[in-house]
Formats: sequence, C-alpha cells, structure tokens
Amino acid sequence: MGDPRVAPTTTHSGVWLPDRHAFNRRLPYLLLAPSVIVLLALILYPLAFALRNSFWFWNLQMGPAPLYYSGLDNYRMVFQVTPFAVALKNTLLLAFLGTFAQFWFGMGVALLLHTHLRGLGLMRALLIMPTTLAPVVAGFLFRYLLEPKGGLLPWALEGIGFPVPPQGFLGNANTALLSIGLVDTWQWTPFFAIVLYAGLLSISEEVKEAAQVDGASPWRMFWSITLPLLRPIAAFLVMIRFMQLFNSFDLVFVLTSGGPGTASRTLSFNLYREGLVNYNIGLTAAMTWLVVIIVSVIINLYLVFVYRKREW
Amino acid sequence: MRRVQARQSLAVYALMALVMVFFLGPILWFILLAFRHPSEAYTLPPQLFFEPYLGNFGDTFVDPGNNAPQLLSSVIVSSGATLLSLPFALAAAYALSRFAMRGKEFIMNWYISLLIAPPIVFVIPYFILMSRIGWAGSYRAMIVTLQTLAIPFSVWLLKSFMDEVPLDLEEAAWVDGANRLAAFFRIIIPLALPGIIVTSMFTFVFSWNNVIFPLALSKQSTTTLPVGTISFFASTGVYWGHIAATAVVAMLPPMIIFLLLGRYVVRGLTFGAVKG
Repeated sequence: MGDPRVAPTTTHSGVWLPDRHAFNRRLPYLLLAPSVIVLLALILYPLAFALRNSFWFWNLQMGPAPLYYSGLDNYRMVFQVTPFAVALKNTLLLAFLGTFAQFWFGMGVALLLHTHLRGLGLMRALLIMPTTLAPVVAGFLFRYLLEPKGGLLPWALEGIGFPVPPQGFLGNANTALLSIGLVDTWQWTPFFAIVLYAGLLSISEEVKEAAQVDGASPWRMFWSITLPLLRPIAAFLVMIRFMQLFNSFDLVFVLTSGGPGTASRTLSFNLYREGLVNYNIGLTAAMTWLVVIIVSVIINLYLVFVYRKREW
Repeated sequence: MRRVQARQSLAVYALMALVMVFFLGPILWFILLAFRHPSEAYTLPPQLFFEPYLGNFGDTFVDPGNNAPQLLSSVIVSSGATLLSLPFALAAAYALSRFAMRGKEFIMNWYISLLIAPPIVFVIPYFILMSRIGWAGSYRAMIVTLQTLAIPFSVWLLKSFMDEVPLDLEEAAWVDGANRLAAFFRIIIPLALPGIIVTSMFTFVFSWNNVIFPLALSKQSTTTLPVGTISFFASTGVYWGHIAATAVVAMLPPMIIFLLLGRYVVRGLTFGAVKG
C-alpha cells in the first residue's frame, strides 16, 4: 500500500495528457460501478418494495395488488398474529449456542490436527465433507438418523438406556431446536477446525519457543499466546457463522418445519411461512423491515465491540 | 520419555478416529441408504453388508426419472450464476486490488454485509417482481437473483488472488506501451487464472447448494435437485430410498469439487480473508 498505483499518464513522446490522467483517476470507480449498480438494484428493490407494502393490507390470495392502506397495522400484527417474539428468541438462542459450540469444538479438532502426526493430512482433507453438503441434504441425513421408529440414533440411545422422547427428538418441543443446533454444529465444526488449523500454522515458532523458555505451561500458552494471535481470524469466523445461523432456514425447513407448534421456528422460517405459504405480503413486508433493523443492529454492535478499529 | 510420546500420539489417533466417525459416519450411512431396498430402510440392528440395490437411482433418474431434469436445471442455474458473476466481479476485484481510493474499506464491508444478510428478506419481493415482469419460474430469475451472493463472494476471493500478482509485472507491461486494459488481459488474467478457476468452483458450489432462491422462484420444470429432494415429503409417506438416491447425486459435485480444491478450501470458505 502507499503507492498510488496509477498508470503512467504520459504518452511515448512524453506529452502530458490531462484527460487521460482524469480517466485513470476515475477508472477504479468505473470498474466498481457495474457490480455496485447491479447489487444496489437487487437490494434496493426488495427493501423499497417491503417498505411501501408494510403500510398496506395485501394478501396475494385476495388480489394481485395491495388492497388498502392500513397504517401501522401490519407492524402490530407481526406480534399479534405471528410468533415473532418466540422466533426471535429461538433465532438468537440458535445463533449464540451454535456459534459457541462450533468454535470450541472446532478449536479442539484444530489442536488435534496441529500435532502433525502421520495420516492427519488425509483426515483433514476428508473432514471438510459435512461443510460441502447443501444444508437441506444435511437435514435429510439427520432426519433419517433421528426417525423415532427405525432411526439409528434413537435405537442406539435406547440401547444404552438414554431416554428418547416418544415423538422423537425432532418432534419434541424441548429437543427440536437443540437438534437443529446440533445438526448445524455437525455441519460447520469442520469449517472452524480447518480454518483455525490454518491459523495455528501461521503462528511463528519463535514466539512459542520464547514462551516455552520462559517456562509457560501449555495451558497458559494457549490462553496467552495462541488465542490472542488467532483473534483476527476468530473474530471473522464468528461473525460469518453467527449471521449464517441467524439466517437459518434450510435446516429448519427440512428437520422440523419450525415445529412442533412454534418450538423451533426461526425468524427466516417465520418470514417464509407468512410470505410464501400464507401469502400475507403486507405483513411479511413489515416483518422484513423489523428483521433488517435487528440484523443491522447486530452487525454494527459486533463491528463496534469486536473490531473497534478495522482489522481485515 | 518416548513411552509418554507414544501414549500421547495413541490418544490423538483415538480421538481423531472418534472425530472422523462422528463427521463422516452420517454421510456414509446415508449413501448406504441409497443402495438399500426400500423394505430394508429401517432394518435394526443395522446391517453394514447387504445386497446393493440400484432401483432407487433407476426410479429417480432413469424410469420414470423425474429427477433427471432437475439435475440439468441445477447445472444450468449454477453455471449461469457463476458465469454471469465473473465479469462484474473481475472488474470490481481489479479496482479494489490495484487502486488507492477513498472508501475502499467501506465498499469491501458493504459487499460482505450482503453475504451475511438474510436471503429470505429479498426472496419474497423477488417472487412478486418476477411474476410481474414475466420471469416467474425461469432460469433467468434464479441466475440473476443469485448474484446477490455470487458477486460479493467472487469480488472478495478474486481480490485476494489479484493482490498476489506482483505489481512489477504490470508496470513492466505499461512501460512497454500497453495500456491498462491490455495489461489487465495480458498480465492479470493469465497470472490470476488459477484464482479465477478456484473462485468459479466455489461460486458454482454455493449456487448448487442454494435452496432458498429456487424454492421460491422456480417452477416444476426448472426446479433444482436439492429442491427436488424436498418434494418427496409432500407425497404420502416418506420414500427414503428415493430421497437418498437424489440427495447422494446432489452431494457428489460439491464433494468432488472440494477434494479438487485441496489447499484452497480454507481461503474460499473465508472469502479470501484467511490464506490457508
């Protein structure tokens, strides 16, 4: 960085061309423009569409256009008609616990890989397989494994005397959301493991040796050296995964459809239900804006507290 | 001392064996399901060895083969989304990699904020927009809307690859009289080609695995394979054999691509932020 990275602005004969200079200064913005314009169009349209319709009563089953202006009714209905508060609670619970579990489980596997024993390289290459699956496919894997009658896991757990709810883990209100979190953890722990492993490799041996000479215990070294040095990577991973978990839809859709009742309904699934099943476009629009505001608050809080200044 | 080390490595191997069974076991169990006769889907205690049955694949992909067109749709939508994103992303990544400009960091963060925004928020308005402009159920509808993910992802990853192409080479080309455009095509594109291929492979996989856009924007004849697997739940009873056969076919391309990507997996999954 630091060098202006601007093309030479003189011709072969050395004649200064001010026009070309101006062009070169504008060039980066011209290159960015197509992607920014396409993306702005793709984002602003839905947001503007939702903002307008959030003040109108409109059910697609009753007509192809908004029916009448309804003020803030839709925003009130979000809380009265849909289990918005429950969905928000479920979503935050899933995102916090899921990210926490995946980070520490992944860290454990990364430390195992970091022993560099023979054969671990092959294991590392295969370990990532769960992360490559479409979330719906991961959902099917575990729906089959968890089937209350005939599934392998309930059968094995009953065999060792572990209590299995009669409706199965996905059909029980106390275990449905937990099960979704566990399946997501199964799918994304390898992601944390291999990225944190790459981070471990980047920590210089000299730092570790210096600490060893000073007589630091492995435990102390992990908390005082390894973890702080991994912080930039960890902060990035946690933000990405937290938001992906916050947006959980595919797994919920396949595993529980938000049930039983509303026990595992997430914000994304709530939006899907109102929008694409009940066709309450006005109500969904209001909910969209509530979700947009919540997401913006979360991302900004995270940027303020974790990144403070810029780090990536 | 040596005994202690041997015991330690034995413990590491034992733990890693547990880890591998935990993470790969469910996948293998599901692949086996695809080769079981439907009457044996629930046989307990579990049978590891059995007569392989190919009927599940036959039913779903050959005769009547309802899922074969979905496989083609998946290829069309994922390739289309990948190809469409490339020119936009190449230009933006080049600008971000090679120019000092105000607001660069803001733009980078803006791209990533799109990647982590909830897609369902956009999908419902798209659903209505597409039927208004006559694109309902078309491949175009899915390919264009997938750009909300494909472009920001590709910009980030391509930028990380272009950052590694030495500036000297480009400057040498300018001295030789090449303008920026010529230098871009003669220097940057060839030298960043591995990165462009890696980026395309990731974009392809992410588009392939995406369900939310095709679920809302496709019709029966254009729906993709992962969405096709869901439809088996709608009919009476659950045909696990058919679900498994289609899901196994749907999971193969991403798995193979990830194995080919090898050392680039870390970089791709972190949008270029961690080099790996």
